Amino acid sequence: MRTTRLLIVDDEPDFTALLKANLEVSGNFMVRQVNDSSLALKAAKEFRPHLCIVDVVMPGMDGGDVVAQIRAEPDLKKVPVMMLTALVEENPHTKDGETQTGGLPFVSKTSGFDTILACIEKHLDEGA
Amino acid sequence: MDEEEVTASKRAMGNEQTLRVALAFSGLLGVVWLVVMEASPVARVAAGAVSILAIFVLAWNHRRKAGDASRESEVLAERLVEQNRQLSDDLTQVKDRHKLLDHYFETLMEHIPANIYFKDLESKFLQVNQNMAESFGLQHPADLEGKSDHDFFDHEHADPALADEEEIIKSGKGVSGFVEHETFADGKEGWVLTTKMPFRNRHGTIIGTFGMSSNVTELVETQNTLERERNVLRSLIDSLPDRIFVRDPGRHYLVVNKAMAEWVDAESSEVMLGKTPADYFPPDVVEKGAAEELDILSSGVPILNREWNFKTREGEVRNMATTKVPLLDQDGRSWGIVGMDRDVTEARRARQVLIETEQRLQEMMDNSPAVVYLKDLDGRYLMVNRGYEELFGIGREDVLGRTDHDFIGDRSAADKFRENDLMVIKVGKAVQMDEELYVEGEPRWYVSARFPLRDINGKVHAVGGISTDITDRKRAEEETRQLNDDLVSANDDLQQAQEHLIQAEKMESIGRLASGVAHEVKNPLAMIGMGLELLARKIPKEDEKGRETIVRMKRGIERAKKIVEGLVDFSSARQLALEPKDVNEVVRDSHALVDYQLKKSNITVVEELVDGIPEVKLDATKVEQVLVNLMINASQAMPDGGQLTLRTLTARIEDVRRDEGARTAGHLRAGDTVVRIEIDDTGTGISEEIAGKLYDPFFTTKPTGAGTGLGLSVSRKIIDLHHGTLELANRPEGGVRATVTLKA
Repeated sequence: MRTTRLLIVDDEPDFTALLKANLEVSGNFMVRQVNDSSLALKAAKEFRPHLCIVDVVMPGMDGGDVVAQIRAEPDLKKVPVMMLTALVEENPHTKDGETQTGGLPFVSKTSGFDTILACIEKHLDEGA
Repeated sequence: MDEEEVTASKRAMGNEQTLRVALAFSGLLGVVWLVVMEASPVARVAAGAVSILAIFVLAWNHRRKAGDASRESEVLAERLVEQNRQLSDDLTQVKDRHKLLDHYFETLMEHIPANIYFKDLESKFLQVNQNMAESFGLQHPADLEGKSDHDFFDHEHADPALADEEEIIKSGKGVSGFVEHETFADGKEGWVLTTKMPFRNRHGTIIGTFGMSSNVTELVETQNTLERERNVLRSLIDSLPDRIFVRDPGRHYLVVNKAMAEWVDAESSEVMLGKTPADYFPPDVVEKGAAEELDILSSGVPILNREWNFKTREGEVRNMATTKVPLLDQDGRSWGIVGMDRDVTEARRARQVLIETEQRLQEMMDNSPAVVYLKDLDGRYLMVNRGYEELFGIGREDVLGRTDHDFIGDRSAADKFRENDLMVIKVGKAVQMDEELYVEGEPRWYVSARFPLRDINGKVHAVGGISTDITDRKRAEEETRQLNDDLVSANDDLQQAQEHLIQAEKMESIGRLASGVAHEVKNPLAMIGMGLELLARKIPKEDEKGRETIVRMKRGIERAKKIVEGLVDFSSARQLALEPKDVNEVVRDSHALVDYQLKKSNITVVEELVDGIPEVKLDATKVEQVLVNLMINASQAMPDGGQLTLRTLTARIEDVRRDEGARTAGHLRAGDTVVRIEIDDTGTGISEEIAGKLYDPFFTTKPTGAGTGLGLSVSRKIIDLHHGTLELANRPEGGVRATVTLKA
């Protein structure tokens, strides 16, 4: 069973640590957390994640900038990106609570771990 | 025979001759007495005796002398016998004559309807007639003989009669034909025509009185009445200010009243009698009058109120009106003229003044821009002005004497006018009112002052009105009012816009704040959630308390999350993405979103969505949010299940309730076509206590944690932003109807 590499870019180290811990407990995930958005690209280049989980509101570069950087990198541009943010709420109209905006899936941070996990798995499948 | 003897014989002869002559005379006198003196039987017997005695003495004396001259005596005796026979015949004739006279006397006494009496010197009745006896209440004239007035009357009445009679006896002069007041024996009073004369015997000696009186009461009273009437008439014509006269065909005055005499400066009415107009009037007047009267006398046609001018001596011209009527006798022939001259100068002057006053009034009325009129109590026009004629397009000659109902086509208007007139008559005071009248199909407004007109005694006898056309003013007022309303409305709109702007700005900042807060709160919430997730994995299965704690903490996170999300919703609802949408589709989509939940709650849904609903510009997502919210609310009001009816319809707004709030007033107006979405439930309904708080943010009736209390306030805000209304009301049949109204 291959190990899935997940890159989490979020300025909240407490959150990323706990998410990481949960993910690692729940499945075969290797999680790298980046709490400084300016280091996100570099980390991605090194880590080669299967999926990038990016927060939106961050000091300095925000989530959008981070995604733009990653998409601009030919090696990384096919890596699926999932926005995980406290800005949006769970979408009551979609099964998984996702909202598609600007070609990116937005998942609410407060959706609960199970929902977040389901979304991660869905987008991993899409990227595969 | 000596000289002495011869002288003595001659003397004796002479004496005898004288005696014979005396005796013969006595006899003759007795006979004459018998014939003439018919009054007393005693006297007649006495007279008869005296004449027979005289004849016997003559015869005896003759026989005594027979020896002396037997031949002469024989001749004388024959002559005497002859004479005696003659006398006897005469006596018989006298007796017959006397009987006849007696009969006449008795007839008179018995039948004359007057009282006839003879009284002696003491005023005792000697003889009365039947009538008198009866008038004294006696049956026979003899019953009155020897009695006096005092036996029948008291002193008051009897004394004057006695005095009269004593005076007659004393003076020897009677009174005849005088009328005196009399109290009759039966107590009635009246008048009698009386004659009282002294009663003399043959020798002219007064032996009493006699008299006759007839009851002339009726005659006297008739005469008195006539006299009175004549006086009344005289006073009447004398008191009349008009000059009255009666003239014969020769124009001589027969009757002239006081005013006439004064007019021509005559000393008195009497002085004028017999005179003619020529004595008092100038020749032209006389001539004209004479000609005129000739005509009247010949034709019998009177002249009535001929007006002419008369110049007084002072040179003043007076206006006279003369009336002359022919006087006809029983055969219809004119025997004179009765005429009357009336001075009409003052009347004519008064009439002139009246005409001028009326003309002045009419001029004033005619030159007034108002409509002016006077009507009598029955509503008939007495006076109208030019304004009136112009308003109704009718001349005053067609108005005067007629009522409104005769020529105003608008019957209800005429009724109203009459009603107003009657009200003024009843109230007796001036009343001001507004009246509407359709003139050529156009409504015109008048402000009318109606007032009662009173006569000299203060009694209302007419009603007047002055109506001023205020249509233009009213129209201008209306326009001004409309303008004002528009301004107020515009001002309201501006104020609302400003409020909206302020609100929007407020909401903008609140929204920003809310999203900031939400973001900042949700991050730690997410973190705590993650932590809990991790911790949960580490709690052994048997540690139920630990697991329960985790569940409670997760529930806490859920609650905080919902509140934060609701806050963001509330503050970010201002943004709408409007697109024309089919409302039925929006309703169906919303239904689909909650269908599962409704079914789970044992609620059946009935859709009554009519076709042909116009498209409405709306933000489908937001409106769906509202409808979902309302449906969830409805389902929560029916915990044991029930029925939910979804209905759409179009309607036209009749009236906008002002108290709905300033925000809605500016948006929906009367006459707008709207689309309504109604959601009816069969739930518990809205209690009075909470009705006022339904839309307050954070107000909720749901169990803690089940609702944020923001649903309805956000929903209302969303509909507000669509310029629509959201209302919740209890349905009469139970449950609640939520109505969303959107402008089509």
